[in-house]
Amino acid sequence: MHRLYDINGWAFVATAVGLIALMTLYPIGKSLWLSLHSGRGVILEFAGVSNVIRLFYDPMFKKALWNTLTFLAIQVPIMIFLSLAVSSCLNSSKLRYKQWFRLAIFLPCVTSLVAYSILFKSMFELDGVVNSVLMAIHIISEPIPWLADPFWAKITVITAITWRWTGYNMIFFLSAMQNIDKSIYEAARIDGVSPIKQFLFITVPLLKPVILFTTVTSTIGTLQLFDEAMNITNGGPANSTMTLSLYIYNLSFSYVPNFGYAATVSYVIVVLSAVLAVVQFKAARNK
Amino acid sequence: MNNKNKVFSLAVTTLLTAGISAKSLAADVTVWAWDPNFNVAAMNEAAARYKKIDPSFNLKVIDSGKEDIEQKLHTMLASGITSSLPDIVLIEDYNAQKYLQAYPGSFLPLQEHIDYSQFAPYKVKVMTIGDKVFGIPFDSGVAGMFYRSDYLEKAGYTHKDLLNITWDRFIEIGKDVKAKTGISMLTYDINDVVLPHIMMQSGGEWFFTPEGEMNIANNQALKETLKTIKAINDAKITRPTSGWSSFVGSFNAGQVATVTSGVWIMGSIKSVDEQKGKWRVAPIPSLKLPNAKHASNQGGSSWYVLSTSKDKEATINFLKKTFAADDDMYQTLLVERGALGTYLPASVGYAYTVEDEFFSGQPVFSDFSKWVAEIPQVSYGMYTQEVDNAISAEIPALLSGDSVDDVLKRVETALKYQLM
Repeated sequence: MHRLYDINGWAFVATAVGLIALMTLYPIGKSLWLSLHSGRGVILEFAGVSNVIRLFYDPMFKKALWNTLTFLAIQVPIMIFLSLAVSSCLNSSKLRYKQWFRLAIFLPCVTSLVAYSILFKSMFELDGVVNSVLMAIHIISEPIPWLADPFWAKITVITAITWRWTGYNMIFFLSAMQNIDKSIYEAARIDGVSPIKQFLFITVPLLKPVILFTTVTSTIGTLQLFDEAMNITNGGPANSTMTLSLYIYNLSFSYVPNFGYAATVSYVIVVLSAVLAVVQFKAARNK
Repeated sequence: MNNKNKVFSLAVTTLLTAGISAKSLAADVTVWAWDPNFNVAAMNEAAARYKKIDPSFNLKVIDSGKEDIEQKLHTMLASGITSSLPDIVLIEDYNAQKYLQAYPGSFLPLQEHIDYSQFAPYKVKVMTIGDKVFGIPFDSGVAGMFYRSDYLEKAGYTHKDLLNITWDRFIEIGKDVKAKTGISMLTYDINDVVLPHIMMQSGGEWFFTPEGEMNIANNQALKETLKTIKAINDAKITRPTSGWSSFVGSFNAGQVATVTSGVWIMGSIKSVDEQKGKWRVAPIPSLKLPNAKHASNQGGSSWYVLSTSKDKEATINFLKKTFAADDDMYQTLLVERGALGTYLPASVGYAYTVEDEFFSGQPVFSDFSKWVAEIPQVSYGMYTQEVDNAISAEIPALLSGDSVDDVLKRVETALKYQLM
């Protein structure tokens, strides 16, 4: 009887397992094998770990890694904090037209990555709407070269990703907040705890698992940052928005193609994601 | 819908699609090209003409963006899945060696079919490996300085004042124009390579020597180019742009007085009817080098036949009878599309004397064809894109005052590790 169940069970999952093996496991294994090769286009030779050694000398890789980590270190905290703040405002019982706000803040993340990138690019042009508005309200007297200056280009990309993903993370926080028992807040209010302290000492600790989850997914997302860097600034100016994923793209499609080395760089992203996730789990547990 | 119906309609659809694909596989020669007003139009013109020779010939041009084509070509050639590759593909000259060397055997050598002495030598060089020549040279990227005659006149300059000037003089004029009209002299995109490429090639050098050695730290033309770029920026006569559309947008909106680019930019310039009669073309300014020319090249591309082509004979015959033979076709392409071919027998003819109303009656193509002959020959090699990116990384340091020698030394060191 047991055996029959086993066979039946395996038969049911066989299709899924087969597909996963074919579509996911095989490419993972193949790319690992590929990362041990180097060469030009289809002329690949076995190169062992020389690709890994090359990483340490490759200035463009270092630049891309540094940029990616900069985006990560600045953008993820800002975004997580923003989504927390926004969702806690939206969770307030005093707020009217809540659905509308929720919809407005969530809408960005249903737009296509390329479409919104192109929109941001045109908004942040020298004579784009952002500069026009800032000049009209006299915050700046000269247009800011959002896309032509290495520093401002980074700011533009960070602004874009934050706009795109804040609403997405907000949804997780909102649903988690609705699960927090209202009586805790009531007790706090009776004890005279200010709303800000309620937020810091009740909401945030209770949301810890969700904060951890959003941080990990955002970290992985930012490590894979590609569409925005490609479409808003194309890695420029002066490679200031060159990310690891864009570098992989360049290694395969813009430069003389070296698919082996490109695979090695993509494994850097895998390793980084894994390491950062472990670090974040550890940090969360220790608190 | 019940199950029987579903099966039936599925079968019908399968049959239909099978029928359609079988039919399209039979006769069509497919081409991948970008720019519907230029390359695609040229291909369609050629096909229409070839149909008179061979009525059974059918050509299908698939029009997509240049980057999409490059990417698709890479993935398909690398994966070895050749069934959806076209018969003919358009490749930009800077990228040609990269494809030819990274995917050996994927392109058909044509030296036995085509008389390459009939094409501009610099174009043939781009597609040669050893004794094999691949592809059919197409358009030239001969450079010119397009300028707004109305703005320049307002500042007191005539066409004569812009002939055979140096970049230093260009900057002086630019300052004057900016002071008198408030219009910037040119656009500047910190990421862009068009202007540096034009300047460097006009000085007769490239990032690599003809022997394939890296030529950066001691490249006089590149040094002068970077010095000039810095001087142009210091003079505050530029309008910053970012990317292709804002570049085109700024001259279409009349925000700059000059555009220095390959001849292929003409289509974009002429796209604004209200600016008719306000543009003219002058030769590009020269670098301060003894052998620097007032002529250079930017871009340009050529047709390549893939060795997986299903009907090689028809494909080669088609190209041979059109792009390597039809003088008259090139005249039409020139007048209608501004496409300046590199097929030498076609470089004289009625089209070259046509006076263009858009350029105040200037016979622009007779000028451009003169400059074609003066373009210094360089060999692009495979790594242009890599070097461009490495230099672009140092441009902010250059603009903030680092010496050109230091900058180029850093670029060369960086590239040594990157290209290993």
